[in-house]
Amino acid sequence: MKSLVINAEVDSPYYPEVNFDADTGICDISGESYMEEAYKFYLPLINWMKEFVLNEKKTLVFNVKLIYFNTSSSRLILDIFDMLKKFRDDGHKIKVNWFYDPDDPDVKDEVEDFEIESGMDIEMIKFS
Amino acid sequence: MFLNQPYKSNLLSYHGPMTIDWISFMVNYIRDMVVAEQPVIKKLYKVFVELVQNVSFYSVDVRKNQVNPDCRRGTGWVIIDEDQKYFYVSTGNLIMATHGPILKKNCDEINSLDEEQLRELKRQTRVQSDVKDVGAHIGLIHTGIISGNPLEISISPVDNIYSFFRIGVKVDKTINN
Repeated sequence: MKSLVINAEVDSPYYPEVNFDADTGICDISGESYMEEAYKFYLPLINWMKEFVLNEKKTLVFNVKLIYFNTSSSRLILDIFDMLKKFRDDGHKIKVNWFYDPDDPDVKDEVEDFEIESGMDIEMIKFS
Repeated sequence: MFLNQPYKSNLLSYHGPMTIDWISFMVNYIRDMVVAEQPVIKKLYKVFVELVQNVSFYSVDVRKNQVNPDCRRGTGWVIIDEDQKYFYVSTGNLIMATHGPILKKNCDEINSLDEEQLRELKRQTRVQSDVKDVGAHIGLIHTGIISGNPLEISISPVDNIYSFFRIGVKVDKTINN
C-alpha cells in the first residue's frame, strides 16, 4: 500500500498538509482546513484509512495538528472519528491524538464535542 | 442595532464575490494587521470565515466563473469595525424571501440558548447534515458559540422573490476564561 502525501501549498493555505505513512501507520494532518468542498478533499483520506485498517493489520495513529478548521471540515473530521471508532470497536488498533494550540480558547470544547459525538477517545497534546 | 452605530473604526470593508482565495487573503490580513491578544484574533477570524463562507455558499446573488461555469461565487458585503471593547463583523447578502423566516427562527433559537445548549444543538445538527453539502449547517450556531454574543440580524424585503439578510456579531476584545 502506498503512503498518501498532500503537500501544503502557499497559494492555497486553506487545504491542510497530509502525510499518511503506510509503513508506520502514522497519519498526520496539519495546517488549516477551510476549503469550499470539504467532502472532495476528505473522501480520499477516509478511503485510505479504511484500506489501511482492513488490509495492513497495523496500529493506525491519527495525529490532528490543525490550527484552524471551518464547520464544513468539522463535519468530515467527525466522519473520520466515527469510522475509527467503529474500527476500534471491531478490535482494530486505533489511536487518535489532537495537538492543540494553547492560545486557542475554543479548541478543548471542540475536541470534547467530537468525543461526545463519535464516542472515540482523543488524547489532547499541547503543541510544543 | 450596533450595525448603525457611528463611532467605530473600520478595519475592512468589501462588497463583491466571496472567493476562497479572497477569504484566505483576508484571514492573513486579520492575523497580520489586527492588534489584539492571540485568542481574540483567533475568535475574530473564525467568526469572519464562517460569516463570509455563508455569503459565498448561500447568497443568491451569484457571479459565475467564466472559466468554470459550475463554480458559483456568492456575492455580498462584509465589514469589520472595532471600538474599545469589541470587534464587529457584519455581512449582508441577498436571500430568497421564503428563507427569511427560517433564518430568523434559527437565529432566535441560537440567541435563546446558553453555551452548553448551543454545543448540544451544534452536535445534533452536525451529525444530521449531509457530508456532501458545501456547509455543515452549523455555521451560525458555531458563530454564536465562538463569539459568546447574540447574533444581530435584520431581513429586509427587496421584492416578492428576494430579501436582503444582514447579520452582525460582536467579538469581545477581552476573553474571560
